[in-house]
Amino acid sequence: MTLPVVVIGLSHKTAPVEVRERFASGPDVLPEVLARLTARKEIDEAMFLSTCNRVEVIGLPKIAGSHEESVQRASRAIREALRDHIGASSVEELREWLYERSGEDAVRHVFRVAASLDSMVLGEPQILGQVKDAYEAAVAAGALRSHLSRCVRRAFTVAKRVRTETQLGAGMVSISSVAVDLAKRIFGDLRDRTVLLVGAGEMAEAAARSLGQQAKAVRICNRSFERAASLAAHFGATAAPLDQLESELLISDVVVASTSSKSYVITRDLVKRVMKQRKGRTLFFIDIAVPRNVDPQIHEQIDNAYVYNVDDLEHEVAENMKSRQKEVAAAEKIVEAELAEWVKWARGLNVNPTIVALRAKTKGVLVAELERTLGTRLKHLGEGERAALAQMIESATNKLLHAPTTRLREAAGESDGNDLVRAVQHLFDLPAPAAQEEEPAKVAGKASAGESEERLAN
Amino acid sequence: MMSEGIADALFYLTVATYVAASVLFLRFLTRGKGDVGVLGPRLIGAGALLHAGHIVIASLVLRRCPVEGIHFPMSVASMSMCVAYVLARKRYRIEVAGAFVAPLALTSLLASRFVGGGEEPGARIKSAILPFHVATNLFGVALFTLAFSAAALYLIQERLLKRKRIDGVFKRLPPLDVLDRAEHRFLVAGFPLLTIGIVTGTLWARHVEMGAPGEVLRAVFGYVTWLVIAGVLFLRAAAGWRGRRAAYGTIAGYAFSLVVLMIYLLRAPQPSAAVADEVEAPATAALALGSAEASSTP
Repeated sequence: MTLPVVVIGLSHKTAPVEVRERFASGPDVLPEVLARLTARKEIDEAMFLSTCNRVEVIGLPKIAGSHEESVQRASRAIREALRDHIGASSVEELREWLYERSGEDAVRHVFRVAASLDSMVLGEPQILGQVKDAYEAAVAAGALRSHLSRCVRRAFTVAKRVRTETQLGAGMVSISSVAVDLAKRIFGDLRDRTVLLVGAGEMAEAAARSLGQQAKAVRICNRSFERAASLAAHFGATAAPLDQLESELLISDVVVASTSSKSYVITRDLVKRVMKQRKGRTLFFIDIAVPRNVDPQIHEQIDNAYVYNVDDLEHEVAENMKSRQKEVAAAEKIVEAELAEWVKWARGLNVNPTIVALRAKTKGVLVAELERTLGTRLKHLGEGERAALAQMIESATNKLLHAPTTRLREAAGESDGNDLVRAVQHLFDLPAPAAQEEEPAKVAGKASAGESEERLAN
Repeated sequence: MMSEGIADALFYLTVATYVAASVLFLRFLTRGKGDVGVLGPRLIGAGALLHAGHIVIASLVLRRCPVEGIHFPMSVASMSMCVAYVLARKRYRIEVAGAFVAPLALTSLLASRFVGGGEEPGARIKSAILPFHVATNLFGVALFTLAFSAAALYLIQERLLKRKRIDGVFKRLPPLDVLDRAEHRFLVAGFPLLTIGIVTGTLWARHVEMGAPGEVLRAVFGYVTWLVIAGVLFLRAAAGWRGRRAAYGTIAGYAFSLVVLMIYLLRAPQPSAAVADEVEAPATAALALGSAEASSTP
């Protein structure tokens, strides 16, 4: 039995952007969301991941009873936390958008997400940064402490391996690059066009990189002018403060919006005014932000203005991804190999308490017998002899338990590992499994974190 | 007789080439198959060459000026359109406009042969202005047909973009802005020719003084065509009428010009030249697309 990790969330595959933006959370509200999650007694550890294409809670249940029951309780708690997060009236309201994974599936999912195998743009590099940000926020909030933290760190390793051992991330395909391709199909050529980036975050940076020298001019408009200026200096662009947005829209042809604003930065009325002054010149908005930055009514109601959001680019992205399918297979192999290692380690967490208990019992019996004898028949022995006897007990314990310990650890990675654990517990009258499982993570973590680390590293 | 045989052979070869080009372009648009970037324009170019050969030989056989009557002007107009397409398509990147150009050239060529209507103008209404009037209208129509093709493609492209259906056909059509620009440039190029056509038509109409209902209608629709296209160009410059509105305006202008042509083609043949002589109606402009000449039967 592995760790009962639970993942509940929604992504571009299960929910449209109108739904995803209700769940999305910026860094400012992340501590509050994490506090809400960890306040639940059913959840031991948790992480909240919010990107353009997904919002997920990765949780480790507090074990009470069987793993299945613990997972069910944690699942309910996470769904209720998500319900409160978006102010929905019931958990049922969320059902059609949410997916759930548990156990090995959940860990596989976390690995795949970090390795960008579940992204809209396969192999895009931004997701790893976003997972790392979510991880750091959870650690800072005290929501990640032990095994789930290790799971996420392991996901970073998986992502790194996929990146270095496959060509999944090769080339320049990203949401931004796909959006630029679409802009080209509207304008034909961007050499005589001005591109405006609204927002100066990671996505804007990717857009600026994709545009490279294709556009006549790149302008960056951001709430923080310093950040805009810094990005502009890096890409040879021109920076402008956000309050000059209207005048910037007048001289731009393609607008890539990627701010973290929770409301529309570019409204219908603003674009209506701008289009009048532009004398109807085409204006193309690519809204890669979630929540969206550009009012979708612009697309429906204003002539010569087009608004495309991340979901609209999905098909386009899928076309671009066809060439990467071979790399996907290689990356999936890495994920499976890492998952097998993880499972082995996680199963070891179940074996370790039994090994510790067996060792403690054996040594306890031997030491008790020795002390009894030393108190009666061997009272005359000096310190030196007593130390030698203690050493002998230690060696005897090690030699006696070497084979069973090795066999148990070997069996931990196998499907029948739990049977062997139960047999040992039964034969040696060790503490009942339920009692041990109460908090296996903590027990095992304390007992043999070093050993486990070593095994995983190997 | 031999020249007539050659003219016929060239006619059918031209028809076959336009058919092949139409099939190629339509197959590309509907199924995304075939190479229209190179082969399509080449086929239309080859069709235009054969077409020109047909016009030259047929003129010699019939000893008729290519810009007189209705059949030849229609034929010359469609050939001019194909030549304009071949010359402009690379510059404006509108190769796919061949999907309109080839079928329209084919239709026009067939109509010039098989649809009744205009006959050789009577000697009474022949004038030095007539060939000039007809020639300018012909080239104007050729350019407007290209503007119409670009406008129609624009509307298709724009609709797909607004509906967010950016796969399939969308990818096969030229970029939206390229179509908008091409449409505007063809319109700008064709408008002076149309204007000259209108002016010469008015002068010529004074000369012949016609008044049959068909002639009046044709003249009225000729003026409406001019006004619509002038309006589209003016509103684009002054009020920012671009994209969809401009495309609708262009299509409307082209539709009016087609009405002029239809009136000409579908009118009942005039009984005789004597009828023309009897007509004493008020003078009206006789603008018609390459057919402003009166339709009296000798």
